[in-house]
Amino acid sequence: MKQLDLQRLVPPGVDARQELRWLLVGWALSFVYSLGFAMRLAQELSALYRVTGGKRVLRIDAVMPDFAGLLGSHLYGFLLVALCMLAVVTYHYFYHRQGSKSIYLMRRLPDGMELHRRCWTLPVLMALASLLAAFVLLMIYYAIYMFVTPESCLTPGQWQKLWSVIL
Amino acid sequence: MIELKHVSKSYGGKQALDDVSLTLPQGEIVGLFGENGAGKTTLMKCILGFLRYDGEITLDGAPISRKTIERISFATSEHSFFPNLTAQGHREFYVEHFPKFDDKRFTALMDFFELPMHKPLRGFSTGQKNQFEVILSLCQGADYILMDEPFAGNDVFNREDFYKVLLGILREHETVLLSTHLLEEVAGFIGRAVLLRQGQIAGDVSMLELEEQGSDLMTFVKQTYRYRADRVSRALDDLTGGDA
Repeated sequence: MKQLDLQRLVPPGVDARQELRWLLVGWALSFVYSLGFAMRLAQELSALYRVTGGKRVLRIDAVMPDFAGLLGSHLYGFLLVALCMLAVVTYHYFYHRQGSKSIYLMRRLPDGMELHRRCWTLPVLMALASLLAAFVLLMIYYAIYMFVTPESCLTPGQWQKLWSVIL
Repeated sequence: MIELKHVSKSYGGKQALDDVSLTLPQGEIVGLFGENGAGKTTLMKCILGFLRYDGEITLDGAPISRKTIERISFATSEHSFFPNLTAQGHREFYVEHFPKFDDKRFTALMDFFELPMHKPLRGFSTGQKNQFEVILSLCQGADYILMDEPFAGNDVFNREDFYKVLLGILREHETVLLSTHLLEEVAGFIGRAVLLRQGQIAGDVSMLELEEQGSDLMTFVKQTYRYRADRVSRALDDLTGGDA
């Protein structure tokens, strides 16, 4: 199978691997920030119980806050990374006027789309990957929320509430 | 043949090209001369489609399009290569995008000018960058090679070498439009001189005609520009009160 040449997805001379490294840094920071959800979940979960005679007992009136409310902005980091890709696109266009006017070469290529392809492809892929990462984490966090929360403490329609917040 | 018919271009209120009509048949080396701001660069950029203009520019009778743009190459003193890319990287990029890329000529010219193949262009000296810019334009496989002050920053020996190489390697169908201030240097290498003045064609003459008239390029340019030979002595007189 032919290996994907990342360098063909960015302007000639731009280090695609360096851009991927920055993406990974963005993802790592976003992931760390998203762990705030786990902390809040742990706190709320603990609040569902009272300790009687050294034992944890579920409070009768205990209700778990909605998943969407608990999640809050904890996945926004990934969205921010996706938005940052617009800055990368801008940089890619600007790159063709930095140090030389390689824009002259790109604008007279027989393939009129080459300039735009090289400026947009990797950032768009990275933005989509960020959104996908956010979605995967969302699913994982939702599964954890549903798994650890006692059924009697759940308010109905969690999934619908989540989508109403997202959309 | 590239043909410009009544081409005009203005930047804001300033007229950069004013009703320029010009033909560039295949197989000529044409010098394009004019003072700074005369419109030389603008004319080339209009041919390449970088600027919008009024009038008509055709290549063999049809407007220049994506299908035919590869027949025109461009070397500029601003440089149009990628500074972070090596010469080898450029070669691969050109091979991919210009089917007529002349790899043999590229290798020969790189060897002749002893340019490193695997060093990023940003590490080249100004002279080397100019050489590489011109090499790319000569190797693209274009029929029309536009050069805009390509040797700015090169020493005289370097330029001399390049003119000789240019004459030696150009094929019959290849046309060069060379914009430069180095009138006397290129006089022996061009076949025709076009003079621009304030955006208009001020003169268009073949070197053969000049020769037959017993004139030369510098005289022709001075006449066309109505150069006043006593200008300097007058200015000095004015400045020194006639003591000079």
